[in-house]
Amino acid sequence: MTKQTSPNNIRKEIEDITSRSYRDIASVLPKDRMPIGFFCPLVPEELIHAAGALPFRLMGTSVPITHAQAHLPPYCCHLVKASLESLLQGELHFLRGIVFCQTCDSMQGLSDIWARQGIVPSQFNLMIPTHLDSEHARPYLRAEMERFKYFLESNVGKISLRKLKDSIRLFNHIRERLSEIYSLRRTLSARIPGAYFARIIRAGYWMDRIRYLELLEGLVDSLPKQTEGSDSLIPIYLTGNMAHADTYFSLIEDAGAIVVRDDLCSGARTFRLMVAEDRDPLEALTERYFQSFFCPTKYLGPQAHRDILLQEVADSKAQGVIFLLYKYCEACFFDYPDLKSALEAKGISTLLLEVEDPVQSKEQLKIRIQAFVEMLSPL
Amino acid sequence: MNETSNPYREIHATAAYRRLMIAYYFMVKHAAWFGKKVAWITSGGPVEPLYAMGVLPFYPENYGAMCGASRMSVSLCEAAEQRGYSRDLCSYALTDIGSNLTGKGPLGVLPKPDFLVCANNICGTVIKWYEIQARALNVPVFFLDTPFIHDEIHDHTLRYVEKQMEGYIAFLERQLKRPFSEKRFYRVGARSLTAIRLWKEIIELSKNHPAPFPAFDAFIHMAPIVTLRGTRWAVRYYRKLKKEIEKRVEQGKGAFAREEIRLIWDNIPIWYDIRNLSKMLSSRGAVLVGDTYTSAWAHEQMEGAPSLAGFARSHATIHLNLGLEYKIKKMIELVEGYGAHGFIMHSNRSCKSYSIGQYDIKREVSKATGRPGLIIEADHTDARSYAPKQVEKQIQIFLEIIREKEQS
Repeated sequence: MTKQTSPNNIRKEIEDITSRSYRDIASVLPKDRMPIGFFCPLVPEELIHAAGALPFRLMGTSVPITHAQAHLPPYCCHLVKASLESLLQGELHFLRGIVFCQTCDSMQGLSDIWARQGIVPSQFNLMIPTHLDSEHARPYLRAEMERFKYFLESNVGKISLRKLKDSIRLFNHIRERLSEIYSLRRTLSARIPGAYFARIIRAGYWMDRIRYLELLEGLVDSLPKQTEGSDSLIPIYLTGNMAHADTYFSLIEDAGAIVVRDDLCSGARTFRLMVAEDRDPLEALTERYFQSFFCPTKYLGPQAHRDILLQEVADSKAQGVIFLLYKYCEACFFDYPDLKSALEAKGISTLLLEVEDPVQSKEQLKIRIQAFVEMLSPL
Repeated sequence: MNETSNPYREIHATAAYRRLMIAYYFMVKHAAWFGKKVAWITSGGPVEPLYAMGVLPFYPENYGAMCGASRMSVSLCEAAEQRGYSRDLCSYALTDIGSNLTGKGPLGVLPKPDFLVCANNICGTVIKWYEIQARALNVPVFFLDTPFIHDEIHDHTLRYVEKQMEGYIAFLERQLKRPFSEKRFYRVGARSLTAIRLWKEIIELSKNHPAPFPAFDAFIHMAPIVTLRGTRWAVRYYRKLKKEIEKRVEQGKGAFAREEIRLIWDNIPIWYDIRNLSKMLSSRGAVLVGDTYTSAWAHEQMEGAPSLAGFARSHATIHLNLGLEYKIKKMIELVEGYGAHGFIMHSNRSCKSYSIGQYDIKREVSKATGRPGLIIEADHTDARSYAPKQVEKQIQIFLEIIREKEQS
């Protein structure tokens, strides 16, 4: 372990970058990579990275909404409102490009509104097909990947085969290390408390990815390989669309539970995005979306969400499931009642938390989480 | 401006329209008596292959509008909410789910589908909605994925939709256990194109002053172009309607005796308040002469002889599947083409695909045309999200602004 990757330095570096506002973050980003913004794990960060840019994920930070109402109706989720607000407040001037992809109606609408502002110099709409179990979707997505590659090469830099393979390997390693940390945290939660864990995840969407991998490797190496007795914590599975905010993880842990697995679109859901390294890289990037990746905005058949969730919850041995959903997220709220019923039929208790800005209504959430965890705790 | 009476001229064809829709719903409701299968289909879905295969389509959205207009939607939404669905979800979907759960609504128990057909060219909501109903009813679903077109349509997008249309035919053949007849599809397709052309011509007659067929009438008479597109019934009905409306034009008669302010409407109607809004506007001499909603069924990309590729293109390029720049252009064309003094936009909390972007459209259209716009907040079928007195006040002030602007 080098000095730069000692546990204290790792924590300091991660907390430093994740404590900054978007405006302040620009000064600590790598100077040799232009930041390209994106919102969704369906955007192949590997391609952006291989072009020589820094993929920078916008995650709906806490921001008072004062400008976005001039463009958006109130019934949009926090991610949509907060991202536009950050753009209009001048927080995102450092971005040299932005990538939207086809997910929900709100993001689709945001893309066009965003383009009209003319603030970020280049913009691309990557049209990931919605019908991900259609044989016709593969050639379509492959053509979209080619189009995206062309956009990046025109606006950022040439993507050579070697660079793309290197980027794929880098991002695969990041997913592997994160997956290890997820597993280790189950019994070592005292060493990586929830709020810090959420920051580790967030940092991975903002900082230089080679440095990020070094930090993750340093972190894994620093953790003991045997358990440290956090068995008394109630294992919880967290599902939803929520990007990682400190609040939720610490509220759950403070109540005496631990998130043993999640399906958040900034979290463990991305582990299913591993890319095969032994084939044509663009083909492999295309193919991964047809393997096991699932986002509720996509169609894999009427039972897909239920089947995947039940399997994951069973594998995680969680005692309860918390649905952490953005208010106004149609894709998640349409699925919720049937998922709740399916889980409860298997004896798994559930709690629904409908949230907007992560900083708001903390006390209310605290009481609800405490009550849920108490209900799951042995007498 | 004081409210004064402004007599409305009834459309005589309305009696034929009612008979037609009663016959349609009777057949769908009792499809088995006619030896037919039923498919539930989204409003943007390709219905022509269904009629070509002898399947009766049932449109939950159209039914949602019917529930809204008959003010039955709220209790059905509440039934869905009791099952755990959020009130923030689309009220068409909640109405349909509530109807299915309770067996209540203007039609009573809904016609049981043999399968579902869903196209996301109108919104992403329908995917989740049809997944729910596929699970609840235990029937297969065909999903047509039409990628959103932000700016230009790419060849690979068209190929993708065309290939899926071929898959749709194969799906129908599997469900119905009989081969698809191209000859029959051609006939149905030709009728569909005729009905679309007639509908386009009818709604464009309101470019005349005074408008003979305002948007509130179009909201009602659009039902056949949605549900019966591809049938002889729709063609016959629209020929009859067109004749009557053309006669009005010849006679220089509008739908209302007095037409001082011409307006364009954007978004799905507020179904439960159509009558009141129409009365309120007309009593102040204002008429909605055109709209973006009913003109969406005048498929602009539908040209030439009917073909699967042609239908693929037209379904991929309908109003709601196109980006903001297109919508701005379309609205400008409507305002200018219909000689409107202003426009009203319904910010519809149930329809994000229609409503997000309206503030930018309003600004750009006003800038380009010099015509003012008003955004009112409501929901297409859920009356709980509507404050009629507040909207009335907003409209009243808006009309005063237009009058002052016209006089200056």
